[in-house]
Amino acid sequence: MNLIRAELERLAARRFVQLMVVLLVFAFAVTTATTLAGSHQPTAAELNQAQQQAVAERRELELRHAQCLAREQGAVPAEDFGYFPADCSSWDPAQRDRLPVASDYLVGVFTFTRQAEPLLYFLVAFLVLFGFLVGASYIGADLNSGGVVNLLLWRPRRMTVLATKLGTLLAVVAALSVLASLAYLVTFWAIAQIVGYPGPTDSAFWGALGAIWGRGLILVLLTTAVGFAIATMGRHTAAALGAVAAYLVVWELGGRIVLEIVEVARPDQLMLASYLGAWLVGEVSLWDDSACRTVVNGYCDGSYSITWPPALVVLLLLTAGLTAAAFALFRRRDLI
Amino acid sequence: MPSGVIEIEGLRKTFHSVRQGRRVAVDGFDLLVEAGQVHGFLGPNGSGKTTTLRALLGLVRADQGRMSVLGAQAPDRLASVAGRVGAIVESPQFFGNFTAYRTLRLLALAGGVPVSRVDEVLDEVGLGDRGHERVKGYSLGMKQRLAVASALLKRPELLILDEPANGLDPAGIREMRDLMRGLAANGVTVLLSSHILAEIQLICDHVTIISRGRRVAHGRVDEVLAGFDRNECLVRADDLARAEELLLAAGFTVTGHGNHLVVGGVPDPVVVSQILGEQGVWVRELTPLRPDLESVFLELTGTMPDPGVPRQLDFPHQGEPTVIDLDVRGADA
Repeated sequence: MNLIRAELERLAARRFVQLMVVLLVFAFAVTTATTLAGSHQPTAAELNQAQQQAVAERRELELRHAQCLAREQGAVPAEDFGYFPADCSSWDPAQRDRLPVASDYLVGVFTFTRQAEPLLYFLVAFLVLFGFLVGASYIGADLNSGGVVNLLLWRPRRMTVLATKLGTLLAVVAALSVLASLAYLVTFWAIAQIVGYPGPTDSAFWGALGAIWGRGLILVLLTTAVGFAIATMGRHTAAALGAVAAYLVVWELGGRIVLEIVEVARPDQLMLASYLGAWLVGEVSLWDDSACRTVVNGYCDGSYSITWPPALVVLLLLTAGLTAAAFALFRRRDLI
Repeated sequence: MPSGVIEIEGLRKTFHSVRQGRRVAVDGFDLLVEAGQVHGFLGPNGSGKTTTLRALLGLVRADQGRMSVLGAQAPDRLASVAGRVGAIVESPQFFGNFTAYRTLRLLALAGGVPVSRVDEVLDEVGLGDRGHERVKGYSLGMKQRLAVASALLKRPELLILDEPANGLDPAGIREMRDLMRGLAANGVTVLLSSHILAEIQLICDHVTIISRGRRVAHGRVDEVLAGFDRNECLVRADDLARAEELLLAAGFTVTGHGNHLVVGGVPDPVVVSQILGEQGVWVRELTPLRPDLESVFLELTGTMPDPGVPRQLDFPHQGEPTVIDLDVRGADA
């Protein structure tokens, strides 16, 4: 317990952590200020007009779908209606992700239901960066400055010391992420109520937002652990930054080019970025160039998707592997 | 081997690196420090002192050997006695952006020591007024004081200090000496590694000398020095040539050094005075030459500077060191 308390105080006292928190608050303040400045509460007339436009757009969609079905059944000649897809279900309003709503037609109005998702992605991206950098710098600076050696002279249990550091770090990053995201969403909800438009919120909206939030928090913790693990192995904060930069340049960029040259099927499946995206948004659709190379005539669908469950497995395996390697190395390493 | 506060037997540590290959840092080293001793640990640069201390404290993994600290096997059972051992190893390293107070407070929290002890120990090492300044603004000497403070924080029974006087000014060295003496007087066992041999001779009652990874001498400081006493004395006289002739005739070894003679095998200098006086040669100076730790150290470790020849660091592969076994534990009893 004493060690946890000491590590909590050490983490809170680190200037880099304080700087990152200030940056978080600053980004939050800037986003809030610009949103406040660029939004107004819609008048009844604006709202009415937007609702009418949304209704009209929905009717138009239904009409086009009905015309497509009529052409498909041969009721009317195709040329009377212009272009139609081969499969009318792609025009079916009931199968669309979302139908036009009034907020789509409100100009200069911050609409919570429309903008909460991108705002949350922005926050998650910042917290991922925060977690990775703080995780790497927390142990990297401690190893580099001799702090770990000093601590081990007091608590000569390497595994306990490293596990306490990682546990404390994850707990602090998790608490900060929860607090920051709640404050963030509550603030923008209040802005929408006061100088904007909340939009139609239902359980599906909150459920989808909650899922992004939950997945985002897990991603923040995973990247924090990865930053910590790489810096532990490399004994320096820069090791984590260098490893990520090297991975991006060598594999995500160079490797992708090579895989495309040698015509490997589904190269995106071999890229970590695909799994990061799939985990965060729930599912990513990708295109496999190699799938249709042999098809000369006729329809070929080279698309495929990665969903969040396999993405989670990949991210967990990667994090667990790096963390286990860091602990194993730290256990045997000569601290000189 | 009797039980000691620190026991090391047959310690061996080899470092491997891609560029430098294999380097034996410590090669079958033994050390025994008994309760209440102020034990000097000497060796040239690269002789294995710091590696030995790091191995003892669990910071590097020994290849072979048995070590114990306060009766607990090291490094496996070190945690059970860590609260009773204060240690600094080599140059002090601290997080530059933390103040000395915060640095010690965090260690106190981690070690379960009352935080109120931090101010006391800062005062003890003379940092009471500057404890709330950032460590990155400290001089080497101040960092050294902070390192000693961190070792004293636990009120240790055993203090292991690697070069504690590094970077200290003359007043600081004297303060450190007084601090060590005070601790020893209060029953704290001290293992002190230093290059300042005069300090070791002043502070320590026992000494172990390591060279090329092996113990080359150990025992009480006075006994180690006595082992190198050749009963020599320096003689200046009004007729140096006649004096040399007379002393050689009396069976002494005599070496001329320009304006003086060094006479060996003299059990009592009075004899020299008597022989010369009886033959009408008047003695102007008669000084017994006693070995000091520096000369013993340089001789044992083979590191006596040779003018004009750059000295290579003392690595084990460079030959076998002279081993002088002066274990005088029996004489202490």
